[in-house]
Amino acid sequence: MKKIFLYILFVGTLFSSCQKNNDTVFDQSPDVRLNDALAKYQSALSGSPAGWNATIRTGNGGVYHFHFRFNESNRVFMFADIDLETATTARESSYRLKALQTPSLIFDTYSYLHMLADPDAGVNGGTYGQGLSSDFEFSLDSLATDSIKLTGRFNGTKLTLVKATQADLDAWQNGQWAKVLAFENVNKIPNYFRRITIAGVTYEVRVNLIARIITFTWVNGSGNLQTFSTEYNYNSTGIAFTTPFVNGSTTVNSLEVDGWDTNNLLLKVKVNGNAATIAGATQPLKIDLTAPSRWWQYAIDNGGLYWISVNGFTINGVEDAFGLKTMGKYYYLIYWPEYDPGNDLLAPVFLNAAGNGLELLYGAAPDTPTFTGDGRAIFTLLGNYGPHPNSGPAALTRAQLLIPQGYYFIQTSATTYDMVSASDAKAWVSWQF
Amino acid sequence: MRIRKAALFITLPLLIILSCRKEDPLKVDDIPGLGGDTWVKGPIDQWLYDTLTVPFNIATKYKWDQFELEVNKTIVPPKEEKIIPVMRTVKKMWIDPYIAQAGELFFKKYSPKFFVLAGSASWNLDGSITLGTAEGGRKVVLYLLNDFLNKGMPGYQLKDSSVLKEMAHVIHHEFTHILDQTIRRQIEFDKVTAGFYTSDWINNSDATARNDGFVTAYALSQPGEDFAEMVSMMLIEGKSGFDNIVNGITGTSVRGTTAAEAKAKLRQKETLVVSYFRDSWGIDFYSLQTRVRTAIVNEIY
Repeated sequence: MKKIFLYILFVGTLFSSCQKNNDTVFDQSPDVRLNDALAKYQSALSGSPAGWNATIRTGNGGVYHFHFRFNESNRVFMFADIDLETATTARESSYRLKALQTPSLIFDTYSYLHMLADPDAGVNGGTYGQGLSSDFEFSLDSLATDSIKLTGRFNGTKLTLVKATQADLDAWQNGQWAKVLAFENVNKIPNYFRRITIAGVTYEVRVNLIARIITFTWVNGSGNLQTFSTEYNYNSTGIAFTTPFVNGSTTVNSLEVDGWDTNNLLLKVKVNGNAATIAGATQPLKIDLTAPSRWWQYAIDNGGLYWISVNGFTINGVEDAFGLKTMGKYYYLIYWPEYDPGNDLLAPVFLNAAGNGLELLYGAAPDTPTFTGDGRAIFTLLGNYGPHPNSGPAALTRAQLLIPQGYYFIQTSATTYDMVSASDAKAWVSWQF
Repeated sequence: MRIRKAALFITLPLLIILSCRKEDPLKVDDIPGLGGDTWVKGPIDQWLYDTLTVPFNIATKYKWDQFELEVNKTIVPPKEEKIIPVMRTVKKMWIDPYIAQAGELFFKKYSPKFFVLAGSASWNLDGSITLGTAEGGRKVVLYLLNDFLNKGMPGYQLKDSSVLKEMAHVIHHEFTHILDQTIRRQIEFDKVTAGFYTSDWINNSDATARNDGFVTAYALSQPGEDFAEMVSMMLIEGKSGFDNIVNGITGTSVRGTTAAEAKAKLRQKETLVVSYFRDSWGIDFYSLQTRVRTAIVNEIY
């Protein structure tokens, strides 16, 4: 019996032990293939004499265009449509290709691309600690003859590179994109209300430059307000809408930017080939007649609390025009309807000395506002609380509130209202509850 | 039969040995990035090599490498134009004073050997920001380089000095940790304000911390940090600056420390710091303080 086992073992060993074929899926080792891939990407990147047109969609949804020129010594030159400077001045920084888990392209010193990812919201208007949720370290997904697709390694943003022509490069170098970026001036129009007339219909235009969203508001045939919003991004002639704007027989896909008129503070554009302007207006298209009283009553109905504004008045496009934030320990500005029976309170609120609570030092006591039939609220002063300063940010804010023409109110969400000067719409406050 | 069996026992192990000689399909030939990243060196690399690597064996990493920083934070690399000014300032306000005071050997022996530079700050979940970190006495991470400006740079305003001072603060703070970990601070230091240390330091301002006899809010976190904060604040503010901090304390703290007590505690810590440097390292602290403060004043005024 023992012998039989031995023979079986012997035969078994003979056959099984001799399987010597190495079935690897690839011909070459991972290192060789990785080096090959990196070399291919390197030669592709630096092999385009006019560089690459790049498009990135950040985590916030904004689409930005870049132009990259890579050389063989880890340097990259770029333009970007982030602002006027990035569109006109080429910036040099460095890049490298690295084998991380996949072949990766890293923009490894600060460039325009990093402005989108910068965690300092002061740079890009995103959120502190996060910026616009963008990337500067990318996995190389695919390489075709004239395009490269990449995915951000941190926020997963998609970056597409398309081989540029000399004309593309010229468009940046000759200031064509800078001309387009003049669109950013739209928010320098000093009036709160901005209008454009397209095919005989007047629209109110609102632009969020950071999120790159444009909103049109108009009065339809039956006298009701209609609103349309779309994301937009820049192209080499103007702004292109992500969703075309359709109103009856009018369809708008893009606005061609013709330039900013510094004297009259208006933006010249072309819509479907016809010249038009985006210019300031002093009144809303349709006045929300009950908005002022709704605003006032809302605070009373919801716990008898107050409205808050951190920036205070924006005047002629300047945020915090009276410099409330220059006051030490300033926290925010409040408007408190019915602070005491029969009068309201407008006051800056301060952080207390210990830094663990808020305190009121003084305030203006306006009368219950007068709500006019034409949709304005007019404020008059009854008196003051505490020793109210007669100069400085708080005094200027108080004086602004009391303008005799009063204010229109525009409800921007369930708990936010914009209060806009009825005299010229060049002064406003955004209140939030 | 006997022979055959013997033959069998000989061949079997032989077969096993021979049959197992398989070629390794994974030839390790040229691993990309082995030995560190490479790139075409530029003037910045040359300057760092000549100024910090050759004399002090200090490496500076300014090109992006997420793994040197917190991998879960949004941080950006520094602007190239900031790197040389920052490291030049670091040399003037940290390396040069220590060498002048304690000698080259001392500095080369204890200095951290690796600087990592980041362009932005590192934002924490509690809303605070980190301006510098250090690990194991070897690595120092400096943040916020992109906001760095000193007197010689265009656009410099006095308010920009806060970034520069904060950077000096971080480096001196971290270097103090290295000294403290090599020769421990006196036991007495921990007893001066024992019972006041709290992990809730973030909810204190520098002013409230001072009312309890701490030089900054962060000093409240633990005795080791208190010591590092004392040394770094005394160095960067200079003698008169530190005196102003102490003399500026008024009122009684919420924990019941009177202004006089707070001042006495800070003075007690000051004395301990000075004697620590003298007894442990043979360094005249006030002379070192003058050198550091002079270097900083030259950078900002």
